[in-house]
Amino acid sequence: MSSIVQIIIGGLLQGGVFAIAALGFSLVFRVTNVVNLSQGAFCVLGAMGMYYFQVLFGWPLLASAVAATFCSVIFCVLVGAVTFVPAASRLPTSSALILTAGLLTFFVGVTLLIWGNQPYSLPPFSGEAPVVVGSIRIPSQGLWLGAVSAVMIAALWFLLQKTALGRALRACSENPAAARLMGIDLHRMILLSFGLAALIGSIGGILVAPLMSIQFDTGHFFTIFGFVAVAIGGMGSFGGAIIGGLLLGVAQQFAAYYVSSLFSNTLALLMLLAVLVLRPSGLLQSDAPRRTDVRDEGRVQRPLVRTSSRTALILPMIILVVLVAIPAMPLSNGLLGSLVITLILFIAVLGLDVLMGFGGQVSLGQAGFMAVGGYCSAILATNYGWSPIAAVGSAIVLSVICALILALVTARLRGHYLALATLAFGLLVDSLAIGLVDVTGGPSGLVGIPSFSVGGFSFGSSVRMYYLTLALCVLLVLALDGATRMGFGRALKSVRSDQLAAAALGVNVGRIKTSALCVSAALAALSGSLYAFSFHFLSPEMVETPRSFELIAMLILGGESTLIGGFFGALVLTMLPTLVQELAIYKTAVEGAILVIMFLVMPEGIYGRALSSLDRCVRLRGMEANVGAKA
Amino acid sequence: MNSAVQALECRSVSKVFGGLRAIDNVSLAVPPGSVCALIGPNGAGKTTFFNVATNLFPPSSGEVKFFGTDLSRRSPHDVARFGIIRTFQTARVFPGMTTIENVMAGAHLHVHSSALSQMLWSRKARAEERRLSFVADALLKMFDLDRYKDSAASELPIGVQKLVEVVRALMAKPRLLLLDEPAAGLNDRETKDLARLLRAIRDAGTTILVVEHNMSLVMGVADCIFVLDAGRLIASGPPEVIQNDRNVIDAYLGRTEERAG
Repeated sequence: MSSIVQIIIGGLLQGGVFAIAALGFSLVFRVTNVVNLSQGAFCVLGAMGMYYFQVLFGWPLLASAVAATFCSVIFCVLVGAVTFVPAASRLPTSSALILTAGLLTFFVGVTLLIWGNQPYSLPPFSGEAPVVVGSIRIPSQGLWLGAVSAVMIAALWFLLQKTALGRALRACSENPAAARLMGIDLHRMILLSFGLAALIGSIGGILVAPLMSIQFDTGHFFTIFGFVAVAIGGMGSFGGAIIGGLLLGVAQQFAAYYVSSLFSNTLALLMLLAVLVLRPSGLLQSDAPRRTDVRDEGRVQRPLVRTSSRTALILPMIILVVLVAIPAMPLSNGLLGSLVITLILFIAVLGLDVLMGFGGQVSLGQAGFMAVGGYCSAILATNYGWSPIAAVGSAIVLSVICALILALVTARLRGHYLALATLAFGLLVDSLAIGLVDVTGGPSGLVGIPSFSVGGFSFGSSVRMYYLTLALCVLLVLALDGATRMGFGRALKSVRSDQLAAAALGVNVGRIKTSALCVSAALAALSGSLYAFSFHFLSPEMVETPRSFELIAMLILGGESTLIGGFFGALVLTMLPTLVQELAIYKTAVEGAILVIMFLVMPEGIYGRALSSLDRCVRLRGMEANVGAKA
Repeated sequence: MNSAVQALECRSVSKVFGGLRAIDNVSLAVPPGSVCALIGPNGAGKTTFFNVATNLFPPSSGEVKFFGTDLSRRSPHDVARFGIIRTFQTARVFPGMTTIENVMAGAHLHVHSSALSQMLWSRKARAEERRLSFVADALLKMFDLDRYKDSAASELPIGVQKLVEVVRALMAKPRLLLLDEPAAGLNDRETKDLARLLRAIRDAGTTILVVEHNMSLVMGVADCIFVLDAGRLIASGPPEVIQNDRNVIDAYLGRTEERAG
């Protein structure tokens, strides 16, 4: 009996950590309708600042807490003012969501630069001695966490419900355009909510740091579980955020105790999927009713990449010629190997482009499908001696089946809930890859995967693998170009732009989304399989959720709905760290910064921009020629 | 009852929002092969009626039948598949697509090649694509929109966007075309052109129901007019009857005694 109570207390403590992150999500979501994925980084910045002031400078507890909070909030607000504020007021919510993923990566990278990659821990506020009630021991820090969280929630509730400022904040979430007409400074309100979220995050980070160890990438952990908690509890509801967090923590502790700590996340994610299916808006619905009809079903403005068919051919042709010629050049084998990886990842990005670029459906779980495909191929080929071709074929089928199930389960979900479900799927695959040690080899991975071969012809050398992947990429680009140019592509784009109008023309929106998800899953499985065959090794971290974010960054960087653009994204993000090894520590920060800056400055991507400039040149030439002919 | 099957038939349709009767016991019939218009002062319930008639939300009571079939439990794309295509009050062209792409997207129901055969660039898929683009070009020319062909549809003037939407709807080859204020944003000359085109569409066999504020369009094009006021049908009949109807004049200009007082 007392062990159960002890598990529950452990769970509540763990849950308190999630609840703190969830609270920040909830606040920003209420004001801007954007799920701010950088929330987790706020906690880490607060905790790291606390370490500086308290442990290094030896300041007293309260003074260092105030100083750490102040510094991290100032930093976050400065960054938010130039990134999040223009994004939340200008971009569609799905794009803003991805931008915040970039912000998270950026913050994580900055933390790595300043504090390095070693773990930090802080002393508990009031000593190590737990509070003992009967036979039950409660860490004193847990009481601090509970008390301060309660005060923060009360203060937030008061601010939002009882003050003029709170009314203005709520007005922005209800109807931003009207709020603006009433003289509310929308930008300032968005910044205020972002700053408040940073404040909550920093204080929360300081409170939970003594309960766990904090590292530069703990931000991912806070974001993911805060996100899961807020989704279980109900987006935009403070009570929901807290209850969701605590439930999640308790469930994880029970799973860890009774099953295995390897499966504690699996249970949490199954819980999330169940909630998403049964009660898509969470256990506690937001007390502020929101007009999802206006925002979620909104029409998505996208930069239009326009080209006449002839100019659209020039660039791909040049690229293809260069790529075919590359192995003939005197290059190091390592560089060719990186190019193979680029092409393999490009296949997964192609799938993402069909789903996100053309279909407008955000998927945060593309790496999950890569993992399904990769593990399936690798296991069939290594342990059961299947021919690689048959293994890849089955991997693709399995991945598409997963996509169909996910589509079935999420049929009622729209907008960011779909993004959430794909994230949950990706994380679920992650946790299974780590947990099913007998099948996947667990955290240490699968070894001894054979090279890819077709009927005795082995693609063992990097040159052969290079030409194989290049040929596959060319075929895939041609095929997808056909489908996206003709009826399927128009249906996809119409769903992306305006679902209501598309349905009024007879487009079966659900079916189109499902087929896009299947195409994307099939390509991810192909990519994951080739990845495993080319490395002869597959471990969970190669196809984990951060990889999903990286694939999105590649797509945005290269240019959405251009197909070929993804190649450049994959090229830059794969090559950058290998070319400049000594700068590898800057990689994460730069990657995040690139994603954020691209969204704000060049939303059509590198390739999209190149295409439209080329097109403009050709048009101008044509006009000059016309004028010349007339004269 | 009536032996002829009506293109659209509403029997005692009501729609209640909270305590408000937005539509109160309306019965009307749109005969096939005609252009009918639904008019009424602001707030009369025209758009609500339109949304009920197109299944955007169900009526509180009464029934709506298209060509004798009750479609109230069907999803919007099934309704479209049945041959009932609508446009929207606020132009809803697809942003991020050119005008010609928008128009061709309207032909979704007539794309018979599968995504797979499009991926393989099959002969059938390409032939179908050529045929659709030929029809789209012809329709754009007919509406005098061909110069906007390669422009981003969402950057066109609102009036033009509404016409693009009409062309897009026509690409679906509807049996019944429901137009929500197609003339909003058009000048007099363009409105006359639109009236001419709507008659041509009717003569080609498509039944049209149009909700409109613009009297010159309605009087010029409609075979039959229904007048809504405060959710009730107060008059119906051919234009010349409606023009002289006491109730209609009252509804639009206020009651005689009020004006006197």
